[in-house]
Amino acid sequence: MPSTSVATTPIIELEGIHLKLASAAGEVNILRGIDLSIAAGETVGIVGPSGSGKSTLMMVLGGLERPSAGRVTIAGANFGRLDEDGLARFRRDHVGIVFQSFHLIPTMTALENVAVPLELAGRDDAFGRAEALLDSVGLGARALHFPGQLSGGEQQRVALARAFAAEPDLLLADEPTGNLDLATGRVVMELLFDLQARLGTTLVLITHDPGLAERCGRVIELADGRVVGDRRTVPPRQAAHG
Amino acid sequence: MAELLLAWRYARRELRSGLKGFGIFLACLVIGVTAIAAVGSVSASIVAGLQADARDLLGGDVEFRLPQRGLPDDTVAWLKARGTLSNLREMRGMVRRTDGDKRTLIELKAVDSAYPLFGAVQLDPVQPLAAALAVEDGVAGLAVDGQVLDRLGVKLGDRVRLGSADFAIRAVLLKEPDNVANPFTFGPHVLVSMEGLALSGLEQPGTLSSSVYRLKLPAGADAKDVIHQADEAFPEAGWQARDASKAAPSVQNFVTRTSMFLVLVGLTSLLVGGVGVGNAAAAYLGGKVPVIATLKALGAPARLIYAIYLLQLFLLASVAIVAGIVLGALAPMLLHALGPALPVELRLGVYPKPLLVAAGFGLLTALGFSLWPLAKARRVPAASLFRNLVETTGIRLGWRDWVASAVVVLALAALALVDAEDKRIAAGFLAAVAVALLSFRLVGSGVMRAAAAVHIRRRPWLRLAIANLHRPGAATPSVVLSMGLGLTVLVAVGLVEGSLTHEVAERLPEQAPSYFFIDIQRDQVAPFKTLVESLPGTSGLDLVPNLRTRIAALNGAKPDESKVEPDVRWILKSERGLTYAARPPSGSHVVAGEWWPADYQGPPLISLDADLAAGLHLKLGDTVTFNLAGREITARIANFRKIDWTTLGINFFTIFAPGALEAAPQTAIATVHADSPQDEERLAREVTDAFPNVSAIRVKDALDTLAKILGDMAAAVRAIAAITVLAGVLVLTGAVAATRRRRVYDAVVLKVLGATRAVIARGFLVEYGILGGATALIAVALGTLAAWLVVTQLLKGEWSFDAGRVIVIALGGTVVTLAVALAGTWRVLGARAAPQLRNE
Repeated sequence: MPSTSVATTPIIELEGIHLKLASAAGEVNILRGIDLSIAAGETVGIVGPSGSGKSTLMMVLGGLERPSAGRVTIAGANFGRLDEDGLARFRRDHVGIVFQSFHLIPTMTALENVAVPLELAGRDDAFGRAEALLDSVGLGARALHFPGQLSGGEQQRVALARAFAAEPDLLLADEPTGNLDLATGRVVMELLFDLQARLGTTLVLITHDPGLAERCGRVIELADGRVVGDRRTVPPRQAAHG
Repeated sequence: MAELLLAWRYARRELRSGLKGFGIFLACLVIGVTAIAAVGSVSASIVAGLQADARDLLGGDVEFRLPQRGLPDDTVAWLKARGTLSNLREMRGMVRRTDGDKRTLIELKAVDSAYPLFGAVQLDPVQPLAAALAVEDGVAGLAVDGQVLDRLGVKLGDRVRLGSADFAIRAVLLKEPDNVANPFTFGPHVLVSMEGLALSGLEQPGTLSSSVYRLKLPAGADAKDVIHQADEAFPEAGWQARDASKAAPSVQNFVTRTSMFLVLVGLTSLLVGGVGVGNAAAAYLGGKVPVIATLKALGAPARLIYAIYLLQLFLLASVAIVAGIVLGALAPMLLHALGPALPVELRLGVYPKPLLVAAGFGLLTALGFSLWPLAKARRVPAASLFRNLVETTGIRLGWRDWVASAVVVLALAALALVDAEDKRIAAGFLAAVAVALLSFRLVGSGVMRAAAAVHIRRRPWLRLAIANLHRPGAATPSVVLSMGLGLTVLVAVGLVEGSLTHEVAERLPEQAPSYFFIDIQRDQVAPFKTLVESLPGTSGLDLVPNLRTRIAALNGAKPDESKVEPDVRWILKSERGLTYAARPPSGSHVVAGEWWPADYQGPPLISLDADLAAGLHLKLGDTVTFNLAGREITARIANFRKIDWTTLGINFFTIFAPGALEAAPQTAIATVHADSPQDEERLAREVTDAFPNVSAIRVKDALDTLAKILGDMAAAVRAIAAITVLAGVLVLTGAVAATRRRRVYDAVVLKVLGATRAVIARGFLVEYGILGGATALIAVALGTLAAWLVVTQLLKGEWSFDAGRVIVIALGGTVVTLAVALAGTWRVLGARAAPQLRNE
């Protein structure tokens, strides 16, 4: 699916995003005026050195962090108008997130973890679908294991299944292979792109691995809280596929 | 030794960061130790107050007390030769207005000119006692308790009738040095002179009264020697002799007994707090795993690790214990300054014994609950440095740890037993606490196991709530244990109080007679009967002879040489009433042997109360010898009866068959039921007008007094029980705080996945609701069992289950659990997601 063909309706629109955080040494400007538009179905890699604001940008996109100034519109929803619970419901319906540290709920089995977003959405087939998703990430046999009993790669695959479970419009992935070894990371990334392609999900992938970023249709470079580069890769995704 | 010094150095270094994080640890210990130290100090102050004023309270160095009759002249002369002698008579009587409109029962004390030997009587208006009581123009004076004026509606200077004579009220009695404010009295006190008593005509043969002889000894004389010599010289005197060391034995017993119960309940609060101490110790040591592993990697032996942290916990516990005993020592002063007026004078001061006991309890509790976390700390492997996470939960205890725990538990139990006045009750209490602790431990793991077995689908918040109940490190066991024990105590106290109150306030009055009439002379029996039966609205007249006797021998052996159980020893100590009857009285039934024929006229037979007989180790056919005004009568036991005392009718432990006692000096006592308050009023008026020497005791007044005493005692026990709940709340707060980090994480992840705050809050509600509900349920069951045992086995009372009280306590407990837990969790809901999700 060529990214250019869907680049007409933006799913993400950021206007003048600033974000300051208080720290012991005083206020720190983490994001300093970001304007960004991402179309539905696009795959976007965000790269940049440590401290450039990549993760914070992702938190802003997920409604987990409120910008100090600026406007966030995702899938037509103005985040400024949503309260905490409104944002939670929005994520439930539209956003899946994959973290570097997996963030599974330790007291729930793999299957239960995957089912959570479906259950929150009130889906009757939550467990059936969760099982299918676990199968699709190759963990059908480990459905009843707890996170503590799974390896890092397995945990991240569970997290992937969980993120895609509710078929989100937008998938945010923050260094999803950062805690994994090379081979395992590759498996996880294959799964990620595969699921994305199958579902047509908009993907925002944060990484400092240039190879991974190149697999996205668009690469945005951040430095010191600003966008310093924004280019389309050629050829997009197909090159990396396989 | 060098190792200990090293441990001390490390311990001090680690404690440099201060007491932060030890709030719950300290608070739990301070509360428990304060409760025990306070109860002990207050009780010691009361007892010391009683002992300091002992001579005043006794009214002499030595007292000889005997029922009714006075001592023969030669005995009186012998006593006079030993020191200054004072002679008193004590009895009950009725004081009436001269117009006959109002009357009241009083406790009358007739005194001679030597009274009081110690201390002074305070009168209003100020005047010498002799002047107040003197006979002027043929009218004797009275010094009366202020209540008499209120009840009769008379004032100073007015005339009243006492017995068959008029008296002038000359003074209000502000203080009698020899009157320990005894809650168990029938009426206000009145002082009269011996001459006045003679004028009243109340001193009739057989009247229920006491003669009291008190001696003020010359300096250097020993009171115990005098008593000994007197008993030698007059072995048949039949008196009760005591010296100042036993001035107020009943009050002192009451105080030490009540204090024993309160100390035991206080110990429960300390044990509940111990759970918090243990949790805090475990959390602290859990956080020290990297330090311990590093020390071990650097070559520190396990013993040194143990010593370092034992010293730290010991120092922390000492801070709390010192604070607790200081607060406890201040309690009597606080009570003195702010508290309700106490019936006895407190002697303020620092009493080391109760403080030491409290410190001992505190130290052993702190040690007992810290032992296991310490043992686990000792076993932390150095290799844990190379792993990300070390689970101390997986570390097993060695046999030495079990032995150490057993030693501490036994030491705690031993201290509780040594400190307690009544070892049997203390042992029962300890057993009950052990059962409760074990039960709640089982309930805790039961809840966890049940939660683990439940599989919830479709509601992740509910699943999380259930998972929180059973995941490793869950607060379930400590919350169940600490809240449970506190609630159990509350339920038990509530139900015991409920049963007693029900008995005294509802059940007893329903069947009780309205009045007891005492001191009815033989020649008054027939007219008394005629009068009462002629009055409208009265019924159920029961009139029986009453004789005062002392048990002189059991099967021919002196009572001191016989085997007697402690709980019936009182019957041998002084004169007791008995009666004779042709037919078995109502309110009791024969359980062994045969009742005699109504026209029996053979050798003396008696019927005994079965429980009493068991305590005296008597069986059917055995003989009991009674001393009846100096004459001895030996009777054979014909049958045993079970008596239902709760009817409050007339019942005697001992009933003679007809034929033996008819000629002996005796009076009669009667009970009468009146239908309405008006009938009651008329009954008392008619009887006491017609028979001025007869005293009317209103049963309802006596029951009201009893109910009030019960209420006061229950309030004290409830207050201490509330401390137990407070300790439980502290433990709960600590347990919730300990899981905060984990809860924040769970909440954040759920939020990321789209859960609203309401959904997450619902989960917490379910989790704590289940915890609180299950705990309350078990607490109700255990508390009810404990109360039932206390009421039926210890107090031998009538059991009644007050469902309302139980529901209130159970619901209250659940609500408190929920409220405290949610208060500690609320902020979790608002936790910002981003900081939790960043990769540090």
